[in-house]
Amino acid sequence: MNKKGELLVENIIFLVLNILFLMILVLFLIKQGSGAVLLEDAYSKNVALLIDSAKPLMSIHLNLQDLKDVSDKNGIPFSDILKIEGNYVTIKLSEKGGTKYHFFNNINVTSYPSKNDGEEGFYVLTFSKIKI
Amino acid sequence: MRKKINILYPNDLKVTNNLYPKYPEGHKGHKKGINNLYPKYPEGHKGHKKGTSTLYPNDLKGTRGHKKGINTLRGIKGIKGINKKGDKLLSVYWFAILVIVAVGIVLMVNSFYGKNYDVRAQESKILSQKVADCIYFGGEFNPLLINSQGGFRDDFKDNFLEKCLLNLTINEEFERPPYYVEAEFFSEGNLKKTSFFISEGNKNWKSDCNVTVSGRDKLATCSQNDFFAKTNSNSLYLIKILSIVGKVEENTN
Repeated sequence: MNKKGELLVENIIFLVLNILFLMILVLFLIKQGSGAVLLEDAYSKNVALLIDSAKPLMSIHLNLQDLKDVSDKNGIPFSDILKIEGNYVTIKLSEKGGTKYHFFNNINVTSYPSKNDGEEGFYVLTFSKIKI
Repeated sequence: MRKKINILYPNDLKVTNNLYPKYPEGHKGHKKGINNLYPKYPEGHKGHKKGTSTLYPNDLKGTRGHKKGINTLRGIKGIKGINKKGDKLLSVYWFAILVIVAVGIVLMVNSFYGKNYDVRAQESKILSQKVADCIYFGGEFNPLLINSQGGFRDDFKDNFLEKCLLNLTINEEFERPPYYVEAEFFSEGNLKKTSFFISEGNKNWKSDCNVTVSGRDKLATCSQNDFFAKTNSNSLYLIKILSIVGKVEENTN
């Protein structure tokens, strides 16, 4: 091969390898930031803090679109990703996964996926006083 | 008349006008439309004259007139050699640098995302705020806390968690509550003696609040909330609320 051809091939290989390297790096960063375990941990704690701050008769519309994207990939129905039972918030985004976090607010919480228009990927949390 | 100087001293090079390398032996010069690794002479350049030196390394061997002590480019093998080996060498180092950068980023990302999301500071503030709201809200004491004579009611203290809608116990057996909360009431006349005291939860966490060590995140997180409150009978109280959240395992590695 002539010199011009060699130079061209070498430069193209060099560029392709560089681009490949950068793509792998970016994909790694994106995957790390949107991992199921990480989201489960963060969202279970955030929802627990929301419930701790809530008062009876309040209603919170919670955007869980990020969780929906991951749960759809893992084959978990959106209606199953958030459970609130016995003062624990449980977020489950994969078959084997699931993270729970305790909240101290002694309040009755009902959670269900929103059916309102324009609220796809939203959950509704309603709060009421526990009847003794 | 052109001055013949065969050294590479920059000012002399300007005079000799020999920055353009000679063609190697056998090279027939430029043809139209053929790009060449050897640059064309600019217009007006008359080419190399015998005896003049150029920057072309192979020609440097034949240069004449160098005096001892003057550095020449004899050690360099040639521009062709620099392009080939130098480029390959550069690519190896370039990829070595990329690998180092990648390893660094992976380590940093792992150390960032590997840690648990610590929300105990926020949780303890919410707990302290919730207790404060339960005791005194909207400029008035909780009617369940103060009796008609202006004194504190002991039944509020006994049913503090229920009255303030708190559940500090966790369902797991033999597990101590990961929370502790206390409220101290000081009357305006004597800020050193507690007039009324309420506490709930695991008191063992309280010792963690005064510890100042480097691994502080492995201990419980505390939050103090102080405020003044006035009763209907115009008695002023300083109320100090201390809230502590344990949950070390859930919030740290």
